[in-house]
Amino acid sequence: MNLYKYAAPVNFYPLAGKLIPWFAIPAAILFAAGLYVGFFVAPTDFQQGDAYRIMFIHVPAAWMGMFLYVLLAFYAAIGWAFNARLASMMASSIATTGAMFTFLSLVTGALWGKPTWGTWWVWDARMTSTLILLFLYAGFISLQASIDDPRRADRAGAVLAIVGVINVPIIYFSVQWWNTLHQGATIRILGKPSIAPPMLAAMLIMLAACWLYSVAVVLIRLRCIILEREQNAAHLAEVPV
Amino acid sequence: MSLSEFLSMGGYGFYVWGSYLVSLIAFAAELVSLSRRKKALAPQPKHKPVIRGSITNETTS
Repeated sequence: MNLYKYAAPVNFYPLAGKLIPWFAIPAAILFAAGLYVGFFVAPTDFQQGDAYRIMFIHVPAAWMGMFLYVLLAFYAAIGWAFNARLASMMASSIATTGAMFTFLSLVTGALWGKPTWGTWWVWDARMTSTLILLFLYAGFISLQASIDDPRRADRAGAVLAIVGVINVPIIYFSVQWWNTLHQGATIRILGKPSIAPPMLAAMLIMLAACWLYSVAVVLIRLRCIILEREQNAAHLAEVPV
Repeated sequence: MSLSEFLSMGGYGFYVWGSYLVSLIAFAAELVSLSRRKKALAPQPKHKPVIRGSITNETTS
């Protein structure tokens, strides 16, 4: 089997269609499982009471916002460097979902901040840099929408996306670099996580669900983009010269 | 634990359920807009052009 043929949007289209249920169905199951563990198994926090349960959607949403941005920039760069249409389409497809998760992380963060910090919003490093991430997504989407020629739109978007990647480590390390109101990382790559096992389990299950959801939704949108961009080409190919 | 106890979330009900409600709306909005976008792209039924009479480039004399 020649895997390279799937780099062509027309060939990837049916494959993407077959892959979608393999992500969508487990996503639905894991959302249900994660919410069950989060609300019925995980105990009440001794400091924050039940307000901490916002974490099960807030932390996965914030992570997805960052991960998806890096993925977007990666695909945009591949699409730009190798002139690969499918990679650029993937970047465009990721943007909406990434923006949605970043928006959610800000809104759920505000709803968590009000009862625990006493304020909806402060201009601290983590929140400000996350807001900038949302603006980067919005800038990418509107820049692409403002350029008629899709390949030129891809290139312009790629420049913005790649420059904007610098913001992701700033968000990630902001709680260490600056003295902020936002709490530090709950889960560290090295060392023990600082929360009870059922809390951690609920959060990781929700994160997995968000990943699977993102893949499914991005593939569905990618199929729309392929049709929107390439069906005209297909029509033109049929016009006799 | 009673239902009202569960819904009150130790007094944080508004914030906890508000977060999950906003999330639900965001996920649903994305899925609905995506399904609309998909529907708009569904192949339209093809109508073969019906040509009445004959059309030629030549002028009749």
